Amino acid sequence: MMKVLLCITLLLVAAPAYAMHISEGILPLPWAVGWFALAVPFVALGIRQLNSLAREDLSIKPLVGLMAAVVFIISCMPVPVPTAGTCSHPCGTGMAAILLGPWISSLIAAVALLLQALFLSHGGLSTWGANIFSMGVIGSLAGYLTFKGLRAMGAPLALAAFFAGLQADWATYLATSVELASGIRGSEPFLPLLEKILIAFVPTQLPLGILEGAMTAGMVVLLYRKRPDILVRMRVIEPGEVKAHG
Amino acid sequence: MHIFTHSTHNGTFLADIDPRVKLLCSLALLLMVISGKGLLLPLVTTLLCIGICIRAGVRLRSLALRFAEPAFIILMIVLLKLFCSGHAPLFSVSLFGIELTGYREGLTEGLMIATRIIGAVSVVNALAAVTPFTELMAAFSWLRLPQAFIEVTLFAWRYLFLLHDDARVIYAAQKNRLGYTGYRTGLRSFGTLAGTLVIKAFDNSRTVTTAMLQRGYDGNLPMLKHKPFRIGEVAASLMFIVCMGILWKL
Repeated sequence: MMKVLLCITLLLVAAPAYAMHISEGILPLPWAVGWFALAVPFVALGIRQLNSLAREDLSIKPLVGLMAAVVFIISCMPVPVPTAGTCSHPCGTGMAAILLGPWISSLIAAVALLLQALFLSHGGLSTWGANIFSMGVIGSLAGYLTFKGLRAMGAPLALAAFFAGLQADWATYLATSVELASGIRGSEPFLPLLEKILIAFVPTQLPLGILEGAMTAGMVVLLYRKRPDILVRMRVIEPGEVKAHG
Repeated sequence: MHIFTHSTHNGTFLADIDPRVKLLCSLALLLMVISGKGLLLPLVTTLLCIGICIRAGVRLRSLALRFAEPAFIILMIVLLKLFCSGHAPLFSVSLFGIELTGYREGLTEGLMIATRIIGAVSVVNALAAVTPFTELMAAFSWLRLPQAFIEVTLFAWRYLFLLHDDARVIYAAQKNRLGYTGYRTGLRSFGTLAGTLVIKAFDNSRTVTTAMLQRGYDGNLPMLKHKPFRIGEVAASLMFIVCMGILWKL
């Protein structure tokens, strides 16, 4: 109990809490290489899909680049987290996954993470693979599958988008905690350390997940009201749905 | 974002060195720092790289901001390790009635990770400080990173600043209209901001493609052409890596 309290106190001290990114140098070499090897196939899938789409539509590469810029900007925006009295930031991959699918979203996350590592020291080159895997792969897959699953069950667009953003954020947080615990545990047993890290991140990540969900829902609702053609083009909704609601 | 727009690439002889040499040296140094077992190499690397950043004209405030996030993470990890890891008690403190014991092994492990983080962050900061982004991407391309990845990154880099300006204008307009006064209003405003950026990204991608097609774009961006390696640079960088390797071995 005492150690749990300590973990929470530590997190409150670590005010900005860019908890989604594992900082440069934290992971020992074998873990850094391992997570990189796990992330590469998913990014390769994204690149393959992008190249295949680019053969039909030349605007797809600029679009993916611009979406990476949007994800970068959104993930740089400090958002107040009332429960922790601090600022944190959303990751934006749930939004990208809904619009462009999980594989291209992994590629977008890889690009945004590279830019952040080089110019903001958020994340890093040695932890690039681990961050791609948690934010790009796990976050995107969680967001995409939640959205598609809920839509298949007949959930409204806003609700499905909200839970997609929420799941993408929380899944990223869970994966980051696993990566962090496995990387820094040293001689300590894995599970108790994972528990401490999970508890330490709760005050920021729980409300942040809700914020990410609200942001994703807000984005999808705005697109639906103002530019439903984008949602139709990205196959988020069927053309008939626009007419039905419009 | 402020520190992002203030990266600088001059004021040091390193700015003229082949970006491939700088990238390879940085990656080698990064590998040594994260695989090292001692404190000496990360500390020497930190001093060296911070010196390079300052010589390259990076402002101290920017540098401090870039180190802020790693510093908080270091603090968290050192304290977690100190109080939660190890067996040999080092000291005990009473905090709000809770007895906390710091352990020797935990402190050692925590400090090892801390120096590793600081050293590695310094290397990446120094690389970014002395290498223009387009040259860095050309060097990544030479390292056989997929062309599509490089192109998407260059597009993102090119339009990042435009979208960032748009985001700032929208945010200021929302704030002036009390868009962030309450939690619910703030959430709604943030969603609208994200949605508007996505709309701008879609519209800009069409405009950009049309403009590029008129200039002969065929789906592939041309990369910067590299000059042949200069023997002096390669020899000096090999010597540097060997010297750092000796420190790594110590």
